[in-house]
Amino acid sequence: MQEFVITILDASNYTLILVLVALGLAIIFGLMNVINMAHGELLMLGAYVLLTVQQLGGSFWLGLIAAPIVVGLVGLVIEELVIRWVYRRFLDTILATWGLSLVIKQAITLYFGPASHSVDVPLTGTVNVLGAQYPAYRLFIMAVSIVAVLVTLRLFFKTRFGLAARGVIANRDMAACLGINTRRLDRYTFAYGAALAGLAGAVMSPLISLDPQMGLGFLVPAFLAVLIGGLGSLMGPVAGSLAVGATDNLTATLYSPVWAQLVVFVMAIVVIRIFPRGLVARRGRES
Amino acid sequence: MKRGRVITTEDALSVLALIVFLALPLGADDYALGEYAKFFAYGLLAASLAFVWGHCGLLCLGQAVFFGIGGYAMSIVTLGKIPGAPTLLSSWLGLVLAVAVPALFANLLGRFLFYGQGLRGAFFGIVTLAVAVIAERLAVNWPYLGGLNGLMNVPPPNLGLNAGGHEIFEPLELYFTMLGLAALGVLLLSALARSRYGVALKALRDNETRAQFLGFDTAAYKTTAFSIGAGIAGLAGALFVTQFGFASPKLIGFGLSAEALIWVAVGGRAVLIAAFLGAFAVRSVEGILSEALGAYWLLALGVLFILTVLVFPRGLIGEIVHQIDRRRGVDTA
Repeated sequence: MQEFVITILDASNYTLILVLVALGLAIIFGLMNVINMAHGELLMLGAYVLLTVQQLGGSFWLGLIAAPIVVGLVGLVIEELVIRWVYRRFLDTILATWGLSLVIKQAITLYFGPASHSVDVPLTGTVNVLGAQYPAYRLFIMAVSIVAVLVTLRLFFKTRFGLAARGVIANRDMAACLGINTRRLDRYTFAYGAALAGLAGAVMSPLISLDPQMGLGFLVPAFLAVLIGGLGSLMGPVAGSLAVGATDNLTATLYSPVWAQLVVFVMAIVVIRIFPRGLVARRGRES
Repeated sequence: MKRGRVITTEDALSVLALIVFLALPLGADDYALGEYAKFFAYGLLAASLAFVWGHCGLLCLGQAVFFGIGGYAMSIVTLGKIPGAPTLLSSWLGLVLAVAVPALFANLLGRFLFYGQGLRGAFFGIVTLAVAVIAERLAVNWPYLGGLNGLMNVPPPNLGLNAGGHEIFEPLELYFTMLGLAALGVLLLSALARSRYGVALKALRDNETRAQFLGFDTAAYKTTAFSIGAGIAGLAGALFVTQFGFASPKLIGFGLSAEALIWVAVGGRAVLIAAFLGAFAVRSVEGILSEALGAYWLLALGVLFILTVLVFPRGLIGEIVHQIDRRRGVDTA
C-alpha cells in the first residue's frame, strides 16, 4: 500500500511538471503557430535564475518568484528579436527556435560552465500521506503546478484576454478583423508560455541536477504530450501529459528507468500515428 | 524562362567544387587531408538531408539516425560481429548493409508514418526527433553495440572481397576514395531530383493535396524519397567510421542531427551541393575558429544559424545560386 501510494505520488509529481511545460508549448503553438524548440532551454533558464538568486544570497523563495518573471521577460525579448520574423513560415519557426536553444545553451555553458549544479531542497520534512512518508517539497511542487495550471485555465477561459486568445486560436484572421490586436496578444502569449516553463524549471530544480543540456529531457516528452493530447483545446496537453507521465513513471517503477523513456517515446509515436489530431480532438479545425 | 537542357548554376557550382576538391591535396598536409576526407562524409549526410527536406519538404530532425545505423552496420561487419558469421569481414558487404539497413528502416518508418491519415510537417519533425532520442538511448544501452563507448578499432576500407586485400589507409588514397564516393552519392541524389520522379517530389512538397488530386500516390513517393535519403546518409556514416576508427552513440543521436540541420540551413536546403559545401565550410571554419573562439564558437554558430533562417531562408550558398539563376533567367524553382 505504501509503495503504491508513493508510486502514484511520484507519477503525479512528474506529470504535473510536464503539464506546466506542455501547457506553455501548447499555448504558443495553438495561438501563434510557432513550434518552440527552445522551450526546454527556457525551463533550464528558470532553474538557473533560481540558482543565481541563491548564489547572490537571496532565498529559495525569492528565486522561485524571480524565475518566471525573468524568463517571461526573456520570452518577450526573444519574441521581439526572433519569433515575429518567422510567423508566416511555419516550419522555419522550428529552425529559428532550435537556433535559439543552441544559443541559450551555449550562453549558459559560458557563464556557469558545463558542469552540473545543484540547489538545496528548501523543505526537508516529510508528510504522512495515507500511511506513506512523502517528502514535503514534492507535495509543494504538486501544489505549485496545480495552482499554475488552474490560473492558466482561468486566464484563458474566464478573462477578456483569454477570450481574445481563444478567438485567435480558432481563427486568427477573423479575430484580427474583429479588432483584436493579435500582435500584442502574440507577445504576451509567448512571454506567458516562457514564464510557465521558467516556473517549471525553478520549482523542479532541487530535485534534479542543473546542467546546460537538461532542456532536451523535458522538451521531447512535453512535445509528445502535446501531440498525444491534441492541439484543439487546452485540455489536450493536460491529458497528454497524464498519459506520458503515468506511462513513464509506471514503467520506471515496475520495470527499469532506462527503458521507461523508450517505452514512452515508442508508445507516443504509435498514438500520434493512430490519432494525428490527438486524443482530445476538436472537430472542424485543420492543423 | 528557359527549360530543359541548360547548364544550371547548381551544375556549374558542382563542377567547380569538384575541381577545387581534386586540387586541394596540392596544398594540404596529411592531417588536413584526413580532416577533409571526414568532412566529405558530413557533406554527404548534409546532401541527404537536403534531398529529404529541401526537395521533398520532409523536415527530418533525426537524419543522423541513418548516418549512425550506417556507421554501426559497417563497423559490425568489418569487426566480424555478425551473429553466426564471424568470418565475414568484407568492407563491400559493410558498404551494402550500411546503405540497405538504414534505407529499410526508413522505409518501415515511412510506411508507418505517411500512409493513412499520415503525419505532416511539424508532427513528422517532432516524431523524427523522438526517434533520434530513442536511437541514441538504444545505442548507449545495448552491449552488442558497445554501449557508451561504441565499437572501437573499426578497420579502414579494404578492397579484398572478404578483407585481406589492399587496405585504403594512406591519406591521399583515402582522400580520393572518400571524395569519389561522396561525389557519387551527391550525383545520384541530384540525378534523382531532376528526374520525373524528382519533379513529382517537388510538386508534393509545394502542395501535397494538389499532387494527390493529380493522381500521385504521395505517401509512396514520400516513403521512397525518405528511404533513399536514409540510404545515402547510411553510406555517409559508413564512410565516416572507416576513417574515424570507431562508431559511438554520438553518431546516431540528436546532437549530430542538429548539426546536420544547421549545415543544410546555412548552406542551402534546396540545392544539394550548397548543403554539401555548407557542411564542409562550417566544419572547416570550426577547425580554424574553435581554438581561437573556444566555447564562443558554438554561440557564434547558433547566431549565424538564426540569422540565416530569418534573413536568407534559402541558405547562404543557396541564395547566391538562386540570385545567379534569376539573373540568367534559368528556372530552377
